[in-house]
Amino acid sequence: MSAGATGAAFVFLLSVLGLLVPVILMAVRASSARKLAVALILAALFAGCAVAVKGFLGQAVPVLDFSRATPFSFSLAVDPLSAFFLLLVSTVAIPVTLFGGSYFELHQPEPRRRWTWIFYSWFLLSMIVVVTAGTGFAFLAGWELMTLVSAALILVEGDSEERRHNVFIYLLMMHAGAAAVAAAFFLFLPFSHSLNLSAMRTAGAALPGGIRAAIFLSAFVGFGTKAGLIPLHLWLPRAHPLAPSPVSALMSGIMLKTAVYGFVRFTFDFLAGGPSWFGYAVLLAGAVSGLLGVLYAIAEHDLKRLLAYHSVENIGIIYLGLGTSLLFLSNHAPLWASLALIAALLHTFNHALFKSLLFLGAGAISGAAHTIDLEELGGLQRRMPITGTTFLIACCSIVGLPLFNGFISEWLTFRSFLGGSVLTNTKAQIVLPLMIGVLALIGGLAAACFVKVFGVAFLGRPRSAEAERAVEAPVPMRAGTTLLAAACVLIGILPGILLHPLVSLGQALIPGSGVPEETLIIARVIPWTAAIILGVVVIAVLPKRTQRMVATWGCGLSQLTSRMQYTSTAFSKPIRFVFTRVYRQDRKVERLPTDQPYFPVTISYRSVRTTSFEKSLYRPFVESVVWLAQGLRRMQTGNIQAYLLYIFLALVSLLALLRFQQ
Amino acid sequence: MKIVLDLAQVLLIVLCAPLVRGIIARGKALLQRRQGASIWRPYAELIKLFRKEELVPPTSSAIFRAAPAVLFGATVCAAAFIPVLHASALMASRGDFFLLVYLLALARFFLSLGALDGGSAFGGMGASREALVSSLAEAPFLLGLAAVAILAHRAELAGIVAWTLEQNVFDISAVHMLALTSLAMVTLAETGRMPVDNPTTHLELTMIHEGMVLEYSGPSLALVEWSAGIKLHLMLALLVALFFPWGMASPNSSWGMAAALLLYFAKLAVLMALVSVIESAMAKLRMYLVPDFLGVASAVSALAVIFTVLVKR
Repeated sequence: MSAGATGAAFVFLLSVLGLLVPVILMAVRASSARKLAVALILAALFAGCAVAVKGFLGQAVPVLDFSRATPFSFSLAVDPLSAFFLLLVSTVAIPVTLFGGSYFELHQPEPRRRWTWIFYSWFLLSMIVVVTAGTGFAFLAGWELMTLVSAALILVEGDSEERRHNVFIYLLMMHAGAAAVAAAFFLFLPFSHSLNLSAMRTAGAALPGGIRAAIFLSAFVGFGTKAGLIPLHLWLPRAHPLAPSPVSALMSGIMLKTAVYGFVRFTFDFLAGGPSWFGYAVLLAGAVSGLLGVLYAIAEHDLKRLLAYHSVENIGIIYLGLGTSLLFLSNHAPLWASLALIAALLHTFNHALFKSLLFLGAGAISGAAHTIDLEELGGLQRRMPITGTTFLIACCSIVGLPLFNGFISEWLTFRSFLGGSVLTNTKAQIVLPLMIGVLALIGGLAAACFVKVFGVAFLGRPRSAEAERAVEAPVPMRAGTTLLAAACVLIGILPGILLHPLVSLGQALIPGSGVPEETLIIARVIPWTAAIILGVVVIAVLPKRTQRMVATWGCGLSQLTSRMQYTSTAFSKPIRFVFTRVYRQDRKVERLPTDQPYFPVTISYRSVRTTSFEKSLYRPFVESVVWLAQGLRRMQTGNIQAYLLYIFLALVSLLALLRFQQ
Repeated sequence: MKIVLDLAQVLLIVLCAPLVRGIIARGKALLQRRQGASIWRPYAELIKLFRKEELVPPTSSAIFRAAPAVLFGATVCAAAFIPVLHASALMASRGDFFLLVYLLALARFFLSLGALDGGSAFGGMGASREALVSSLAEAPFLLGLAAVAILAHRAELAGIVAWTLEQNVFDISAVHMLALTSLAMVTLAETGRMPVDNPTTHLELTMIHEGMVLEYSGPSLALVEWSAGIKLHLMLALLVALFFPWGMASPNSSWGMAAALLLYFAKLAVLMALVSVIESAMAKLRMYLVPDFLGVASAVSALAVIFTVLVKR
């Protein structure tokens, strides 16, 4: 494909998603129009993959300049870092769209369905604009569109007081974050002649220390809000469960990754690292998000909320890698820095694959059993074998078990922690290897959590009549999940296919680095491990066995019932008990009637888990904002003389300022 | 030649695993002044189980039948990482200790799923308790290994063992003692021995591993039991390889090999005797004291990692 063809493919991608699909859906209401729209979106995404692969290999950098058509300078360009994220968006969105084509037909009534597809198309477009933006304004425009369209997708799904409240919180936090991102861009303005990405890169080298720190902090907070770093994660478990499953898959699988893109773009590409406290700050945020994310996840039994908290955890793991990389950069160890960066970027890609797979699995479950409450599920593996198997692969991947993709990136992160011991700085030399323990604890707890999720939802006996009647998902939905599962296993066994181009991306982002040896080791050792395990498993199952179906012994009862199985809440009880300080449960036990405490007719038990962030961090902040607004309201008297006075005072002060400056 | 030796090492760990369990059981019997069963009894039990028919709950899925095979495959693969007779193993020069630990996690993950697929309360109870113990044991396990790896400047087990062999026995540092302490505690927790779990109990209040495997029978149970034996043997062999490797031979001399084999069994016998003594002398910890036990192991392993900074120069 020549450079011209690449450019044409890029234009095709943008125009189909931005214009063609919405126009077709608005003009024609027949179901064939929706089928055409899905086919067009898929074709556009394949074009996106082609463009991304070209850009990833550094062969062509298509640049689309719209500056004459827009009031601000607005251009899109695909350099290797953009190409990596474009590849992530395009490849992950293909199976999700395939799944959605069937899911929305089954679970949404007509007028909503049309709007869902229009917003879906724009949502993809906005994320592509963000990761390929060539100027600050293009980035911010895409960033804002992404927030608004995703909020619209949540609102299309239904209308209730709670939903509007949660969307309000989502929009509020996203705009606070967007303000910080905008600040990070505008802080460049005094030093850079424009907000072109290349100009900012040049300016980044010569920034004074204070400005560097301010830019870093703005980017850290702004992108951290989008990524869902604790304590900025508040919107995440609220917004994700409300969206329809394919949209949740896009939000958690891809939208969070645009924040990682932005953060990598700022800290590595523009600033090229910084003092060591940058690294420690990111490392701390990653460790806290990882640990608290997985602990909150274990306590959940609503599948989508649980998965949302796991997104917080995995973003934490990604930030652990990024922080390690920054720390190595400040200690002048570029080779190790590139290893940690490669680990973080690979985990970003892996998380996009397995987390969207998990959310699609949740969609298939809710379609089949009409609930995603784990306490109502069970026995689905027998009823939905394909969905169950793909879900199991996703569980193994997110836990980071060998032969699945999550392991590769976690292994690289572990090895970069271990590499910290070669540094000469004593503090880094101690902190980085200790992070092995933190990541191991996160991994162990994640394993406990996903044993619970898969075991309770898919194994054992069904816990409700709905789960008992569940049937396998339709073919397109299964095709979507199977594609994602196949990608997870492929990267898990042959990691070289992604690691090789990632190494050159690392070299491009971190000057002076080479090929980290670890990336070669893992690509060599994993196929051997897979061969040994598979060989032994085949030997173990090969001998012919006689099997007999016998009901599980009921300890003297005639039959076991599903109520005798461990529930999700029961399974997580030991861990919740040990980490009881993290949860702060409020329990309420009510016995009625109250005058007979020993012979109650009804007992109701309620345990409410409020995260302490809302109470002790957000509440005071919100109250002080409201207090400030109340104070400012006194200025608004409605009296025209007062307003004239304000104008006069403003004029006088401006004139005085001008005089003073001269 | 080397490949034959490496394969022999894997077979040694896999085939001697029931013997290790038998000897520990016999040692406990002797300490408790019972006659005890023959040390070969675990073999007879495996053969018996492999011949029997398998009972499968009608509500279970394919996972129930696949889990023991995956457990066995991952455990045998982990056994291929441990240097026993010379400073290398089938996978020891390629894979590192992170892969080893996560292979054991893979095995455990599938065993827990199999337990939940049985559909009874005991499987869930065992899996839930195992989840607690294993999630807390992972950090001290990796940190303890990392401390030794930092001293040796390499992460592959073969490299670590080769480095240790070059050291003088009397140059043992604080790091080694701390790492050995934490890894020994982790070994007891990971293999389900006292004081964390009681391998001989069938009392629902106390059992962890036995609760998980309660629904298994016939060849599946044989695979589960054999895997548990392999895991115990490989953890003990790992302790020997990391902390007492002296005596390992070079692959060229057959006399050296024979001596290394004898020495290995002598070292293993000491560890097995220790396990028997601990099992006879200690009571099982209450369920919620196990996190404290593993917390101590974590703290000790973290200290080991911190002390590497002082020792290295």
